Amino acid sequence: MRESGDLLVCKGVTKQFGSLVAVKDLGFTARRGEILGIGGPNGAGKTTLFDVLSGLNPATRGEVWLDGQNITRAAPEAICHAGIARTFQLNACFDSLTVRENVEVGAIFGRAAHGLPGLNPSAEARAATDEALALVGLSDKANHVAGDLPVLDRKLLMLAGAVATRPKLLLMDEPVGGLTHAETDLMMDAVRRIKAQGVTIILIEHVMRFLVALSDRVMILHHGERIYEGPPKGLVEDRAVVDVYLGEGASARLAAMLQGAVP
Amino acid sequence: MTARRRDILLSLGFAALLALVPLVFSTRYIISQITVFFIWGLVVTQWNLVLGVAGIFSLAQMALFAIGAYGTAMLAYYVGLPLLAAMPVAALVTVAASLLIGFACLRLKGAYVALLTLAIAQVIYLIVVNDTACFTNPPSGCLPLFGGVRGFSRFGDLGFRELLGSKFYIGHYYVGLALLLAAQVFCIVLIRGPLGLAFRALRDNPGYAMSRGVGKLRYQLWVFGLSAFFTGLAGAFYAANFGVVGPIVFSVSMLLFLLAMIVVGGMGTVWGPLLGAALLMAADEGLREVGTFREIGLGLVLAVFVILLPRGIAGLARKTEAGGPASRAGTGRKQVADSSDAI
Repeated sequence: MRESGDLLVCKGVTKQFGSLVAVKDLGFTARRGEILGIGGPNGAGKTTLFDVLSGLNPATRGEVWLDGQNITRAAPEAICHAGIARTFQLNACFDSLTVRENVEVGAIFGRAAHGLPGLNPSAEARAATDEALALVGLSDKANHVAGDLPVLDRKLLMLAGAVATRPKLLLMDEPVGGLTHAETDLMMDAVRRIKAQGVTIILIEHVMRFLVALSDRVMILHHGERIYEGPPKGLVEDRAVVDVYLGEGASARLAAMLQGAVP
Repeated sequence: MTARRRDILLSLGFAALLALVPLVFSTRYIISQITVFFIWGLVVTQWNLVLGVAGIFSLAQMALFAIGAYGTAMLAYYVGLPLLAAMPVAALVTVAASLLIGFACLRLKGAYVALLTLAIAQVIYLIVVNDTACFTNPPSGCLPLFGGVRGFSRFGDLGFRELLGSKFYIGHYYVGLALLLAAQVFCIVLIRGPLGLAFRALRDNPGYAMSRGVGKLRYQLWVFGLSAFFTGLAGAFYAANFGVVGPIVFSVSMLLFLLAMIVVGGMGTVWGPLLGAALLMAADEGLREVGTFREIGLGLVLAVFVILLPRGIAGLARKTEAGGPASRAGTGRKQVADSSDAI
């Protein structure tokens, strides 16, 4: 039972800022081991949804359950300990720390709220750090100062920090925004490796090539409401998605791409 | 060799050198001035943990120092504890006070923390000086509970006068040296360990740190509590060394002098605060002849450093090492970080 079924369950989640309803009565689940892609126009409430799930900005109404645990009102660090790690749209880093130290923060503190973290990182934390650095390919830059890294490395570093917390669920907010075609492919490989480790992933992305190639299911939001949920290839056939998000041109290109990728 | 081991060995080396000083110079003035350096060194190393490492702009540190000093004096004067027992007790009282101040302030951010901690320090100062009701009446005259404007004196000493006679100040010198060595090693272990990592992560990006499992209030309270111990002990040793504790320990000029040491030396670095303390005390000594120009000089030094060298002297060393242009903080620091003082 624990091996299958739903890892994350959201029931009637609403996030309101004054009179603005950013996320409206949203119910969805993320199944164990899948990649759920989230798309939608700017202002659809995608990042706000991540803020709700990760506890940085808790829901106004509704409930969020992770693995049978109600985390709706939990603090961000408690949600991290429960097993959700997220990356940010803006490249968040500990700028003055080295690459290794950046990842160590997640490895040491991401697991549980222990009393005192000791004088040295535990062997387990060190191993998790090494593993996460290797996974994103930053091992040889471990001693660089994070603030000096180029954009791709910063995004990979943020991902390594998330992976080092050994999450059950990984939330990725626009992991390839601003990256080149080749860099996008590199990130795609990293995400596949993380999925292969059994981590469930929810990712927000505007780059449709990335979104449809990775996602098992896609959910499209508009004005805080779901307008589509289903397989990636159904996107181009959905009138509402084409009208409010993709547009005719992008929709045609995406359809051509899907034809090539999914015979 | 890890940075931590290197720094601990350096501390032991410096301490060994300083231990030789009284054997070479026996002038009381020099020994006493270096003892004062040990006291301010204690304060700035711990303040740097809060200010530079954890990035919390707390100005409560001199009030904590005062609590350590007054605590020692009062425990010795009223309860009759020997100073050696009163000092650690006062240090623990300081830790408790710091945790309380932390609870009150740490939900605020940035400049608001500075304002509230300064306000708390001023309230404590006003409580001390505005209380004129006699609590006891010793032969020297009416004494309020907290000593009033006169403060405390004649509360005993560390016993070096009996042991060493007129050379008692050499005993104080070694006590101060031992305390500073312990405090510096404590800082190094802390800064270069997991707790230091949590403090620095929260300093760099609190939101990101929280979503990586670092509870903000929890670890900021840790730094408030941990840094208060040696700060309180510094106050306690100040009381023992001078034999007098008065409201001057609350003075804003003293607070600025110590803050300037941290800024000049390099905020958030392992060695910067001690370097700054040594430099500013030497500069202050040099300006002693010119009276009021001392404070103007100090202000100028502070302004120059804030504008030209915001990362202090230790930050300058880091840039030179990197081979980059000596520009403002945030640029020209592409390098392998492990070899530098920066943390």
